[in-house]
Amino acid sequence: MAEERLRVDALVVGGGIAGMQASLDLADQGYHVALVEREPSIGGKMIALSKVFPTLDCCSCITTPKMSAVAHHENIHLFTYTEVKTIEPNGGSYLVHCVEKPRYVDTGLCTGCRQCEYACPIDLPDPFQMGLSAHRAIRVPFSTAVPQKAVLDIDHCLLCGKCEKACPVDAIDFTQGPQDLVIEARAIVLATGYETTPRDAKAEYGAGKLSNVIDGLMMERLLAPTGPYLHVLRPSDGKEPDSIAYVQCAGSRDETLGVSYCSRVCCMYAIKQAMLLSGALPMADITIYYMDIRTFGKGYEQFYQNARAMGIEFVKAKVGRITEDEYRNPIVRVEIMEEASRVEERKHDLVVLSVGMLPAYDPRPLYGVPIAEDGFVEAACPNIAPPMTAQPGVFAAGTATGPMDIVDSIVMAGAAAAEAAAYLERHDGEAKTYAGRSISMGEKEAIHA
Amino acid sequence: MPEKKPKPETPATFARLPKEAPRLGVYICYCGGNISDVVDCERVAKVLGEQPDVIVARTNMSMCSDAGQAMIEEDIREHKLNRVVIGACSPFLHEQTFRGTVSRAGLNPYYYHHVGIREQDSWVTHDDPEGATAKAIRLMNAGLAKARHLEPLEPIRLEAKKHALVIGGGVAGLRAALDIAERGLKVTLIEKTPFLGGHMAQLESVFPTDEEARPALHELIEKVVHHPKVTIYTSTVIVATKGCVGDFQVQLRPVARGVRGVAPGIQAAIEACPVEVPDEFNYGLTRRKAIYFRYPGCHPPTAAIDWEHCTLCGECAKVNPKDIRLEREMTTFQITVGAIVIATGFQPYEPRPGEYGYGEYPEVVTLPQFIRIMAMAEDAGELMWNGHPVRQVAMIHCVGSRQVPGVHEPQPDGKVNDYCSRVCCTATLQATADLRRRFPQIRIFDLYEDIRTYGRGHEEYYRQASLSGVRFLRFHTEQGPVVIADPTGEHPLVVKVNDYLTWGEELEVPADLVVLAVGMMPGPIEDLIDVLKLSPGNDRFLLEVHPKLRPVETAVTGIVLAGTAQSPMNIQESCAAAEAAASKVAGLLSQGLVELEPFVAHVDLGRCTGTGACVDACQYEGAIQLETRVIDGKEVQRAVISPAICVGCGVCVSACPNRAIDVQGWTLAQYEAMVAAIAAEIPALVEVEA
Repeated sequence: MAEERLRVDALVVGGGIAGMQASLDLADQGYHVALVEREPSIGGKMIALSKVFPTLDCCSCITTPKMSAVAHHENIHLFTYTEVKTIEPNGGSYLVHCVEKPRYVDTGLCTGCRQCEYACPIDLPDPFQMGLSAHRAIRVPFSTAVPQKAVLDIDHCLLCGKCEKACPVDAIDFTQGPQDLVIEARAIVLATGYETTPRDAKAEYGAGKLSNVIDGLMMERLLAPTGPYLHVLRPSDGKEPDSIAYVQCAGSRDETLGVSYCSRVCCMYAIKQAMLLSGALPMADITIYYMDIRTFGKGYEQFYQNARAMGIEFVKAKVGRITEDEYRNPIVRVEIMEEASRVEERKHDLVVLSVGMLPAYDPRPLYGVPIAEDGFVEAACPNIAPPMTAQPGVFAAGTATGPMDIVDSIVMAGAAAAEAAAYLERHDGEAKTYAGRSISMGEKEAIHA
Repeated sequence: MPEKKPKPETPATFARLPKEAPRLGVYICYCGGNISDVVDCERVAKVLGEQPDVIVARTNMSMCSDAGQAMIEEDIREHKLNRVVIGACSPFLHEQTFRGTVSRAGLNPYYYHHVGIREQDSWVTHDDPEGATAKAIRLMNAGLAKARHLEPLEPIRLEAKKHALVIGGGVAGLRAALDIAERGLKVTLIEKTPFLGGHMAQLESVFPTDEEARPALHELIEKVVHHPKVTIYTSTVIVATKGCVGDFQVQLRPVARGVRGVAPGIQAAIEACPVEVPDEFNYGLTRRKAIYFRYPGCHPPTAAIDWEHCTLCGECAKVNPKDIRLEREMTTFQITVGAIVIATGFQPYEPRPGEYGYGEYPEVVTLPQFIRIMAMAEDAGELMWNGHPVRQVAMIHCVGSRQVPGVHEPQPDGKVNDYCSRVCCTATLQATADLRRRFPQIRIFDLYEDIRTYGRGHEEYYRQASLSGVRFLRFHTEQGPVVIADPTGEHPLVVKVNDYLTWGEELEVPADLVVLAVGMMPGPIEDLIDVLKLSPGNDRFLLEVHPKLRPVETAVTGIVLAGTAQSPMNIQESCAAAEAAASKVAGLLSQGLVELEPFVAHVDLGRCTGTGACVDACQYEGAIQLETRVIDGKEVQRAVISPAICVGCGVCVSACPNRAIDVQGWTLAQYEAMVAAIAAEIPALVEVEA
């Protein structure tokens, strides 16, 4: 059976902002990069955000050009919907066995016209919209997806064939199977990102059963111009909320959840969302319940002070419990410290949990890269060489190495690219000779396995 | 024979107009609501679609997305467009993106014009949607007018020197130097002082690992010093630069060290020096001689003379006449580099006299001083300060950070430090942990606004401090703590604070030592800012182009930022930023070629009469010069541009009496067309603007 093999300088695992930036920084230096992303589109968590702090740039304006640059860069080979299965050291390089999952769509033919999507009768919760709206069983993942190619969820497909009939270019292929791919890479950058604390993690906050208690990423979608409703509406009854509360550290600095660390981004995203909400719902009251406001980055403190000046209410308090009344209005139980320390129950229309960051991926089984107590990649030399791991030739960037915001992820990605480049230069001699045959970099070679 | 004078009524650029008729594609971006929330983009597209030469006019939620770009590419191919105008964000953000789009479709990338209808319209006219829509139409119409006059241009390609200059020998500069050198590029590292290591050398341990600071630093220094691609000059500053990315000619001025090599008997020579000055290594807590080592084990391991304080008495040279030479001056020299890394670091905020009792009471010290006090303290027994055993310590956060106008005194430039210094919370708690461990009997009070232990492992210091009985008191900026002498005389000082964790009650904390957690300010680099034409931000730290798109680059192409010159950072963050800067430098220089924008002056030799007015007006040495040419057998002077030096400022254009000069891509003809279009009557707008 023929097997595709691609020989590159570096493999980047994860097509979020850190992985894209690391790929671009390596490719711009002339190295050949294979970027592997398990989702059908690159863009990661960032592409689903509304606007980003502290500049309030629309998120697409920052992310989509980088996605486009990755797709068009002559030194970057992009593999979406592809997962790494096994890795074997191969004398100075790694043989990375990947599987491209079947899209049931011929990507060479698909133009992303979405006719299949319009024809499909199946509605499923849309993960891009955080489940707030639906997508079809076959769909282009989202409007700015790269690549703009349809993907079919075979588990929910009825095999009714409507998409096949609708497709103007005959791209639907129900017989497609997984595609094996071997990438030979001399260095690896892990940019496997983060997940957020599950909304049902905390029983005190309703264990995910209170419909008007949402999390920060859901609010991002409500605020985004490509969001589900194009208005900020609360889930239970579609009402425009007049009073919105943020519960900070919902899943961070909380040892009952085994998360003792600070997630770094939640203060700023809550403040940013509060500002955007003041624009979207000028009459709404917005309260942020916090333990410490941690606006530590460049321009962040000034951002916080602007939010205070805009009239957003900041209350130092740890929310103890969230319940709801008969109209499903969330009730927040807090101790108001600054006013003679009294416990109060305050009613809001919508509560947003500022959920924290958890590691998305355990790199130990495949990459042999150790993790620290917090579950994120352990740096071998955290102060002087932050992206370096204990595994030679394997580096880590972005939130794979711990919670961080977009600015820090991008810088960290640049750092990982520098470390990987230095590693490639140091080991140049070995790699040129080990295989005993010469294949030009980036060239695809079909070998018989 | 008299010189030929072209007819003045024909603008120079008309001759260069391409022959084919303009076929315009016009695109209006929603910018994810940033524009479309205010401007009626569909209406703008409709009106513009009716203008002459416009073949297609479309909108998109985000034109810069791959789908948006693909749409434009397809239009160019299908409709044979030869000009593209996009109304979107500022060109600063995405002009480059769209040039790539146009180029991929086979069109010269400069057949593209970007109109900023976000920054110049929707963001500033958000309360008047009708007016904003009309304004967008006018701005876009001017864009169309310019586009009709666009000409194909080629970027200026220059050979790039595979050599980078790193300014600053602290941890960020060292890290950047090593990464660039590892990439195979030559590096010159300069350090203003005689010794390497920066502020990191003054720390005992580094959070969050608590590893020893100097061994970690020395390991890095060893790698840099012994790297064959790196040359280091200590006691050296930049005095002038010329040129541009790929080819910066930098004048360096070294100052003599005064001491050569290991210099046997140097300790005796140091002892012989009669001059004593405050030792900056210990933040003035101790004194050193005018010939000195920064600290035992410092790099380079050669003593240096502090010329500012040396009286040239010659006492040291009497001890070691062979290795000590009291001659300060050295000759300036020049190097040529392709890129420059700014790693000039920070300085700790210096509280003004009287701020929290600083300078008034010897028991008030800064956190950097406290770290040195702890470094010099004996572990056994009690911690002594100013002749007294220390029984109670008060730490005050946010000194010189998070300042509020009207509450805090401004700096000499009239601005308060309104930013968070990022490192002080964790640094304070790390120092607290050290104090607790070594002197467990001391009671510690921590006065804070917010505890910002944000980083990985930082929260652990906060948790440990709470568990170990450190008392946290929370104040508000408006009611900050006040340090006074203890009226009972039991302790030297009392700190009065309204504690919001106990309902704003005023508490009095007696203290034997008050530690001010001072923030960071950028190093004193006014000269460098002048020489390199850098731009500091409102917080005085150097400004990046964009925090997410180009986070380590400055507005000057080829000059990048590393570490705390850009903003407060801890050591880990400084190293990551330095490595990112190294990536950028490697990306710029590793191909040995750089491309510059072609927006430089262009002389129409048919109209130039060699008046030299342009040369007199030009601010950039060598950008425009007169050359002797032979025209019709006669020697004449003509202006010639050096495109690599010219910045396209246009001063020469206005100085030329013959309209012989234009800035490519921004010609007078283009401006005139734009002005006419801005003022033109647009039928669709009559009603709106009436």
